[in-house]
Amino acid sequence: MEAHISTAEQVLLTTDGIPLKDSLKKTERRNKIKAFLLVFPLLLFIIVTFVVPIFDMLGRSIDDSQINQVYPKTFEEYGKWDKKADELPPEEVFKAIYFELGTGDKIMIGRALTRMNYSKSGWKSLIKKTQRQIKKDLKAETVITSYKDRLIEINEKWADRTYWYAMSQMINERTPIYYWNALDRTYDAEMNVVRQSEERRIYVKTWIKTFKVSVYVTFFCLLLGFPVAHLLANLPLRYSNLLMIFVLLPFWTSLLVRTTAWIVMLQQNGVINGVLVWLGILCDDCRIQMVYNETGTLIAMTQILLPFMILPLYSVMKVIPPSHLRAAANLGAKPFTAFIRVYLPQTVPGMSAGGLLVFVLAIGYFITPELVGGKDGQLIGHWIAYHLKTTLNWGLCAALGAILLGIMLILYWLYNRIVGIDNIKLG
Amino acid sequence: MSKFFKTIIAFAFLSVVPFSASAEVTFVSWGGAYTESQIKAYGDTYSDPDSIIFEPYNGGLGEVRAQVESGNVAWDIVDVLPSEAIIGCDEGLFEDLSDVAWTDAPDGTSMEDDLAASGVTIMPPCCAPQIFWTYVAFYDPDNFPGNWSGAKPEGIADFFDVENFPGKRGVHTWANAIVEMALVADGVGVNDVYDVLETSEGVDRAFAKLDTIKDHIIHWSAGSKPLELVKSGEVVMSLAYNGRVGAANLSEGENFEYIWEGQVIEQEYICLMNGAPNRDAAIDFMIHASSSESQAEQAKYITYGPMRASGIDIIAAGEPWFHTGINVLDQMPNTPDKLAISVIGDPTWWADNGSEISERYGAWMGN
Repeated sequence: MEAHISTAEQVLLTTDGIPLKDSLKKTERRNKIKAFLLVFPLLLFIIVTFVVPIFDMLGRSIDDSQINQVYPKTFEEYGKWDKKADELPPEEVFKAIYFELGTGDKIMIGRALTRMNYSKSGWKSLIKKTQRQIKKDLKAETVITSYKDRLIEINEKWADRTYWYAMSQMINERTPIYYWNALDRTYDAEMNVVRQSEERRIYVKTWIKTFKVSVYVTFFCLLLGFPVAHLLANLPLRYSNLLMIFVLLPFWTSLLVRTTAWIVMLQQNGVINGVLVWLGILCDDCRIQMVYNETGTLIAMTQILLPFMILPLYSVMKVIPPSHLRAAANLGAKPFTAFIRVYLPQTVPGMSAGGLLVFVLAIGYFITPELVGGKDGQLIGHWIAYHLKTTLNWGLCAALGAILLGIMLILYWLYNRIVGIDNIKLG
Repeated sequence: MSKFFKTIIAFAFLSVVPFSASAEVTFVSWGGAYTESQIKAYGDTYSDPDSIIFEPYNGGLGEVRAQVESGNVAWDIVDVLPSEAIIGCDEGLFEDLSDVAWTDAPDGTSMEDDLAASGVTIMPPCCAPQIFWTYVAFYDPDNFPGNWSGAKPEGIADFFDVENFPGKRGVHTWANAIVEMALVADGVGVNDVYDVLETSEGVDRAFAKLDTIKDHIIHWSAGSKPLELVKSGEVVMSLAYNGRVGAANLSEGENFEYIWEGQVIEQEYICLMNGAPNRDAAIDFMIHASSSESQAEQAKYITYGPMRASGIDIIAAGEPWFHTGINVLDQMPNTPDKLAISVIGDPTWWADNGSEISERYGAWMGN
């Protein structure tokens, strides 16, 4: 017993005298470092191009610090305004904004202007006109007894309470206002969240539409893709190869070409309407409007996203052994029962992979709805692009994007709970 | 060192040095026929044509702001819409050029007076003028709808008149210009449009007028679309960018008729990026590109009008002006007679109200 322990404690050495354990550890560590170095560029790439932008976006969606650097004093005084007692803010607020406009950095004020104009249209020209006049005042060293009267004299809009009320949503450095805007909500004078005025309610409706279109597109892709994938998986090779090319050819064709082709097909003087009229099914004056509306968006998106459903389905169906169905038949199942109870469950991984792929792509789709969407086929991407490029309201863009991301994460979580994410199979 | 290596190094130097030494000005514009016309009118006539590189972009200030904010400015000059010129200038995305001496018109008129003669009172301080382009209604007389009883649409009111001119109309998916047109069609004078729009009742009035043609509209979003829509008979008339209609008429043998009355004239500016890598060369080129002669020259290749009134005079004196030897003045949107019946788009109003109106228009479209 003693002897046995002593041999076990005897340390094994390599030829150069280092304990074998240490030597092994060292090599392992070196290998780990090598492996890490190999993936490091990719990791860095993902961090720089993916993780950082997402966090930047999330930050922007609540950030209101820029304007607080421009009007610190004004906002401080603004906080003391008792809105119930006085109709307009106290003199100190007018004085603070007078000097912050007169002496502030022009570019900083300009950038804050873009932000102010989101809260209420008209801030932009009001501030610019006022700023010009204040600069003249300061140069001429005009004596001012009441800054309130002076500002209202410069522009009567300073006596308009709604401008002052709109300021309330800017005075915090962190603000949820962009998220509220993205859901057609805004603040009233007392900072209560209220619904946006009726003619401007656009986002909730667009969210619902985006969601609806994505669900429909996924459903139609499944409906159309399932038989095709099944055929592909079960035809003899020389036919299935040809069929595969038919599936892949549009997949390789430019998105714009396919979208435009759908316009040619679907428009009122297009191929489909033309044939229907020629056949006498439709009268010449009752041609169907199938494009430049939601229908057009649905049809075009379904066709464009179809391969993303067919390919995962196909790869899963390909490996389902035909013997399973034969075995089912052998045990007395009718073809329909065999299909439902034996075949269909085995295709679930393919359906879920395809469904998730198509849905994720559809919910953020931009170009196709933009071109064929017309009056009511625009999805949420349209508004993100609009605010990104035209109004420069990046806070709202970020909030819209973050909500989209949130929806995706919730769906993913739900999916994982119900189906299980390891059940996905792409090939 | 082997001879092979030396050759490679020498070659690398030869190919790198010219690029890094010469200051090449990057001019970013909308691409397509428009950029082509700029290359011919401004690039090829410049003292050093090779020093200007033209690149296309998708419009908007998004990328401009991203470049300036990150401090990684790759562009020098950007071709932008007027409201963007104003916003970009306010935000410090573009550099203030108030001190630059722009060239006078041939008769000695200053840039400012020259623009004022075209109806432009405020020139964004960071930018130089380019062209007028317009949202204009047009139709195809060769494809004349039988149910119009022979009458021709004369003004924008006819565009909104679905009783006498039945059929679908093509309208873009954003609010610019269509709001102004609705008011003109409703009887507001072309110079009073923005006064009316200042009040919310005025905006309501415009949307009430839009309601009257809502069910007759097909919405387009790409500039080439209205021509296809009209040509294929999908719509009986459409709004379009006038340059697209002009190109079809002058170069593709189409015979489209414009409805000039009530058109909305938009401005186009070239602005200097704040922190442009080749600032001085860029300013020199901007002076060249905004001269009366250069602006008139552009009309040889595309039917957008020079913003400087003196440019129109040069064209009028030089007819036939188009590079194929055709008269171009009929296709120009801003001859004095047309200016009198057009709305001059007000970028200040749009910079103030654009976001609100666009959301409202979007909601209106989808309802």
